[in-house]
Amino acid sequence: MDSIERDDQRFRNKLYFAIWTWLLLLFGVGMAVFALNLTRKMAATLIFGLAAIKAVLVLRYYMHLKREHVLIYLMVVVPLLFFAAFALSLVPDIVWRHGFRG
Amino acid sequence: MDLTTQSQPELTTALDSDDKDGLRQIPPGRLAVWWFLASEVMVFGGLIGCFLLFEAAHGDFAEAAAHTNWKLGAFNTLILLTSSLTMILAHSAAKAHDSLGTRLCLFATVFLGLVFLGVKSIEYRGEISEGFVPSTGTFWSFYFAMTGLHGLHLIGGITANTVLLIAAVRKQPWTILEKRVEYAGLYWHFVDVIWIFLFPLIYLT
Repeated sequence: MDSIERDDQRFRNKLYFAIWTWLLLLFGVGMAVFALNLTRKMAATLIFGLAAIKAVLVLRYYMHLKREHVLIYLMVVVPLLFFAAFALSLVPDIVWRHGFRG
Repeated sequence: MDLTTQSQPELTTALDSDDKDGLRQIPPGRLAVWWFLASEVMVFGGLIGCFLLFEAAHGDFAEAAAHTNWKLGAFNTLILLTSSLTMILAHSAAKAHDSLGTRLCLFATVFLGLVFLGVKSIEYRGEISEGFVPSTGTFWSFYFAMTGLHGLHLIGGITANTVLLIAAVRKQPWTILEKRVEYAGLYWHFVDVIWIFLFPLIYLT
């Protein structure tokens, strides 16, 4: 293996280990939030916020979205927007029929 | 080339043969995998969206979720996060044409995936023995549907990685193997991202 490739591999691996450490730390913080006696809304906001950060870290650094073409970004973002639109479009119906118990 | 004066980001960019500019520079295999993942976002997004809407409408999922084993779920989350690390290390090794590193990391990924499935089956056995099955209630229908679908995706990923491991052992040419490990890695990380959201949604509700 060429020494340049070896050095490049070492640099990449250091970054990947650093991201993994962050993922574990964020997971630990999420579990700590779960153990605290917070209100349901606050706990849910914090826990899902942490989950979103972890997802972004995996997408950017492990799936290399950081240096991908804009088309790939659209492939990730557009389905998420569709999903959000479908879910939000049904909220008025739920509030009308059941009342919001969330 | 003097490596001591060259900054590390430049080193990575210099060796990265994929030109970011131009749609035609995206390898067709990578484009196809991302396209497939986009469709999977709609599948899981639909399930997760329905779960959230039912929870908002009825608000009784917390009581049912209390019967899930969050400790095993947390352990599985750690397993899957670590498997993502081993998968990206496999890709890094394949990119550097490191045969031993590629094989070890692919083996570790497959092993961790099997551990996840083993723990999940222990959970299922416990829940079913307590009488919680898909027909027990809405929460449990969603629970078994979402975790079952996720498990099936994991089995697919384990199968793909096992095939790649065999190919690596048989010393498949790097021009082919490197790309395949990358694409399998994209799929594996996606399965991990799905679990990152499923775990708090189901276990910590």
